[in-house]
Amino acid sequence: MKKLLSLLLAVTMVLSLGVFALADGPIEITVWGAEEDQTYLAERIEAFKAAYPDQEFDITLGVESESTAKDTILTDVEAAADVYAFASDQLPDLVNAGAILDLSTVEAALTALAGKTLDDIKAANVEGAITAATYNDKFYAFPFASDGFFMFYDPDYISAEQAETWEGLLDAAAAAGKKVGMTLASGWYNTAFFNAAGFSTSLNADGTTNMDWNGTSPDGYTGVQVVQAMQAIAGHDAFMAIADGDISNQIAGGDLAAVISGTWDTKLVSDTFGEDYEARALPLLTLGEDQVPTRGTVSFKMIGVNPYATNTGWAVMLAEFLTNEESQVARFEAREIPPTNIAASESEAVQANKGVVGLTEAAAVGVVQSVGGKYWDPTASFGEQIAQGTIGTDEASIQTALDQLVEGVTAPVG
Amino acid sequence: MNKIGGAVAGFFRGIGNFFGEFFAAVAKGDWAVKLSLLVWGAGYAKRRQYVKATIMTALEVGLILFSVCFASQYVPKFGTLGTVQMAQEFNIETMQMEFNDYDHSFLILLFSLFSFVVWAVGLVVWMRNTVACYRLQQAAEAGKHINTFKEDCREYLGDKFHITLLTLPIIGIVIFTVIPILLLIFVAFTNYDQQHMPPSALFTWVGFENFKSLFSSGGMTVTFGYAFVRVLGWTLVWAFFATFTTYFGGILMSLLLNSKKTRAPRLWRTLLVITIAVPQFVSLLLVRNFFSNGGIVNTLCARIGLTGWLRSIGLISTSYIPFLTAPGWAHVMIILINIWIGVPYQMLIATGILMNLPSDQLESARVDGANKFQTFRYITMPYMLQVTAPTLVTDFVKNINNFNVIYLLTDGVYTTTNQLMANSQAKEVDLLVTWLFNLTQNYYNYKMAAVIGIVVFIVCAVFTLVAFNFLIRGDKEGVYQ
Amino acid sequence: MKDKRLGSIVSHNVLIAVLCIIWLIPIVWLVCMSFSAASNMNTSTFFPQEWSTKYYVQLFHSDTVNQFKAWFMNTFKIAVFTCIICTCFTLMVAYATSFGKFKARKPLMNVAVMLNLFPGVLTMIAVYFTLRTFGLTNSHIGLILVYSASSGLGYLICKGFFDTVPRALCEAARLDGCNEARIFAQIVIPTSRPIIVYTIISSFLTPWMDFVFAKMILNAGISENYTVAVGLYKMLDKSLINSYFTVFCCGGILVSIPIAVLFFIMQKFYVEGITAGAVKG
Repeated sequence: MKKLLSLLLAVTMVLSLGVFALADGPIEITVWGAEEDQTYLAERIEAFKAAYPDQEFDITLGVESESTAKDTILTDVEAAADVYAFASDQLPDLVNAGAILDLSTVEAALTALAGKTLDDIKAANVEGAITAATYNDKFYAFPFASDGFFMFYDPDYISAEQAETWEGLLDAAAAAGKKVGMTLASGWYNTAFFNAAGFSTSLNADGTTNMDWNGTSPDGYTGVQVVQAMQAIAGHDAFMAIADGDISNQIAGGDLAAVISGTWDTKLVSDTFGEDYEARALPLLTLGEDQVPTRGTVSFKMIGVNPYATNTGWAVMLAEFLTNEESQVARFEAREIPPTNIAASESEAVQANKGVVGLTEAAAVGVVQSVGGKYWDPTASFGEQIAQGTIGTDEASIQTALDQLVEGVTAPVG
Repeated sequence: MNKIGGAVAGFFRGIGNFFGEFFAAVAKGDWAVKLSLLVWGAGYAKRRQYVKATIMTALEVGLILFSVCFASQYVPKFGTLGTVQMAQEFNIETMQMEFNDYDHSFLILLFSLFSFVVWAVGLVVWMRNTVACYRLQQAAEAGKHINTFKEDCREYLGDKFHITLLTLPIIGIVIFTVIPILLLIFVAFTNYDQQHMPPSALFTWVGFENFKSLFSSGGMTVTFGYAFVRVLGWTLVWAFFATFTTYFGGILMSLLLNSKKTRAPRLWRTLLVITIAVPQFVSLLLVRNFFSNGGIVNTLCARIGLTGWLRSIGLISTSYIPFLTAPGWAHVMIILINIWIGVPYQMLIATGILMNLPSDQLESARVDGANKFQTFRYITMPYMLQVTAPTLVTDFVKNINNFNVIYLLTDGVYTTTNQLMANSQAKEVDLLVTWLFNLTQNYYNYKMAAVIGIVVFIVCAVFTLVAFNFLIRGDKEGVYQ
Repeated sequence: MKDKRLGSIVSHNVLIAVLCIIWLIPIVWLVCMSFSAASNMNTSTFFPQEWSTKYYVQLFHSDTVNQFKAWFMNTFKIAVFTCIICTCFTLMVAYATSFGKFKARKPLMNVAVMLNLFPGVLTMIAVYFTLRTFGLTNSHIGLILVYSASSGLGYLICKGFFDTVPRALCEAARLDGCNEARIFAQIVIPTSRPIIVYTIISSFLTPWMDFVFAKMILNAGISENYTVAVGLYKMLDKSLINSYFTVFCCGGILVSIPIAVLFFIMQKFYVEGITAGAVKG
């Protein structure tokens, strides 16, 4: 089957190269990827060159962390790399600034050269990733990795049963004199509690965010209830609110028995908790009488193409190549990053990886976040207020705090 | 205030003279002077200064070429900042995108400003050139010696040496400081923000809208006004404490080190100077981790029971001491850490100045039986203050704009617990400059950043004017000459 | 009587020692951390549990993240050129404003005061696009220009020093037929060693300290082109801090050493330079 496929690919390539006159000079493309990915990307770029031996390339690889890609790109779109990796929450800003190519405009080239349509790509990857790469019904980027958070815990202190609920988890940790760590001061993490109650956010075409956390959710819970539940967790002796960038340090510090983090910390967790560490979805949250799953954010890492690239067509080819099944498998082997490609994630190695299992479990109940730029600062502040206990526990003060939060998040952009 | 008045009057007198000379030259000049209005070299050519004539004409041609080839693309669009929206289409033949001839608002603004500056300089050169031609005519008519080119050149190493010296530095300052500042002022009157980011979108003039949104509250919590007042307040408090704590700390430290009782003062001084030698981004990022919520200091405090004690008396509500993460704590810590990095520096300065302290005064004070504190209070301090008052003022302004300390200590660490501040993307520990940096870097809100930048300038300018006019009497420049 | 004196000397020196210890604690911590055997930050004890020099070794073996050797050379190169241009510009402007007797002198000085009041970070974006127009972004020349082109504005301390140079000396030279250029080069410059040293040191240090402009100008993500400040700063990125914190500490120390040495050698001149301007200016 694979042989047949590659044969087919080769045929289409020969045909297509007959149609397109090869460019005279080398095709210049610049690529940005994360620091940790440099070696892997360099190898894949060589593979790309080998896949198109008739065309001369001059590909420059640069370093730009996925989490800061947007900041650098938007400062000067025209000087940014032609092909770049970014975290999916940046998509709205990139689209609004015209810094990312609508892939449908170049689909013809993709079909002719790589023999793939956009539908093929959409079918090859998990649905959430495609949703995250779509904005205003247009498909913008090639996903290559799942990037959500889930829970690691140390079975020496916490049993699988205790890890089922927040109460059980925290009590077990307290009994062992250990802590449970999570970032509250970030809208990426703390939305999990509101998602649990059925609240959601959405994004308007003008970049503003809709949010109704100060009201009642479709599931019938109020925002106040959610905040009270959060306060109960944050006020527990065993809970430790950790700043966004400090999680890894704290894991290494050795005081934690459980932590909410992602695959980027897998190795560290395995070093600290021991190889028998467990990974799973976030525990159940108690809202009133009910216990509901805490629904974390499901994010992805993807590769986009700069509309101001000189060689847009080839840049799209490269972007697609760096995210195809083969590349995703190679990436997993190099860095244990969970692939979005369905075929790639079915391999045994991927399935056996505890981090991936935890992430998959979390993603099963998770929510793909769609928010604008004004979302982040107010929600971070809100989480910090809960972490530091500056919001009163009475309903009135919680309601006021929520009203102010919603006002900040839904404010007009600009 | 007389000084300012005098300066303003002098300024206008200077401009008056400048134009007066020019019109006199045009009116009284012969045909060559009048022709030099059109062809810059004409006046020199008549007096046989051919090299100079060629240079001036070449300059003129250069200016015309600049106007036609460069300025004409941008200046006509200055009024609208561009009207043609970017559009693109994929060409499958070349595998490239094809763009229309779109307008880039930012470049239009920048290059228009650039052109204006070049033209302003050109205008001055043109007028001075005419005057110079007229002077040449006068000299020739009076039968005086007309300089050869060589003699002219020599003048630039003699009487006109200052021109030789100043040209390059001023060009540098104009391109890298003046034009960017002008640009910032203009951006404050546009709607350049995330919704209007070139090259994909255009921005345009909006008048005083941005200033209004900074100063009006409009009944909403999402206002720049709310955050602005608080950030400005902390900026001033910070500048005051940062300036004076390090200043007095430096003096005390240097008195301590330079006392006769000190053994091995050079060793101690060297040890203190090490803290300056470590680059700020290293030392501050380190200190920030040192004091972080889960950092080493917190671990130690928890171990010796300090954290528990603070908690029991209600000073903290968290399981750690929020050195750099809670308002109040962070404010104090930032000032303390600034003392740490600032005092050695001020100590060096104070040491140098105290070395020059007139020793006869100290001697007579000792004879009169003054104790150490009295000596310090009545002799050392007044001398220090007199000498360093201007530096104090500049230090204060520097601290208002002290980006590094605040940014490195709080960026990514401090999360505000004031929802209203967060709604304006501000934090309690932000200075105006770090706030505006954040607005441009993370929110691309260049228009508001520009408005804040102008406010920073006004604050600094008012302070400097007041300080120089009331605190520091007289201009000492002449005294030593 | 003697005892009391001795006691006060001892307590005086102890006080100084205590202050110095307080001042040095973070630096000592930095040194300790750099010799740690763990790659991440140690938050439980002040001294590392295990000592090792392996991260110094790693620092000099470039990988995709760490290119310390290249960064160091880049910064050194930039610093040398910045230093030359800055020193020339500062001295030139200071001489012209101190010795010159032209009409525009006072207005120019007032304008300089005004320009110094604007926050530098805000002009960044305009500076960036100006450089891009000339194709100088992502080049060290661009960075050198950013650091040095406006250096004329920092002439005040230097002018303060020049103001103290005896005018009689210059008058005498002038009577002997010296022109301004020779007075500048042969009389003023040789008598101004402290202020020149001061200017050289402070301008040499700029590229080692700045990361904001460097990060903006060197935005192509090509690691070999970074300066030390940008490179080390990026090591503290969320995803890297765990594997590179100790390397960061090593880098921080190695950068500090040349700067510290520079300070020790030039301390006397530095103090004289900075104060001579302040005392008399």
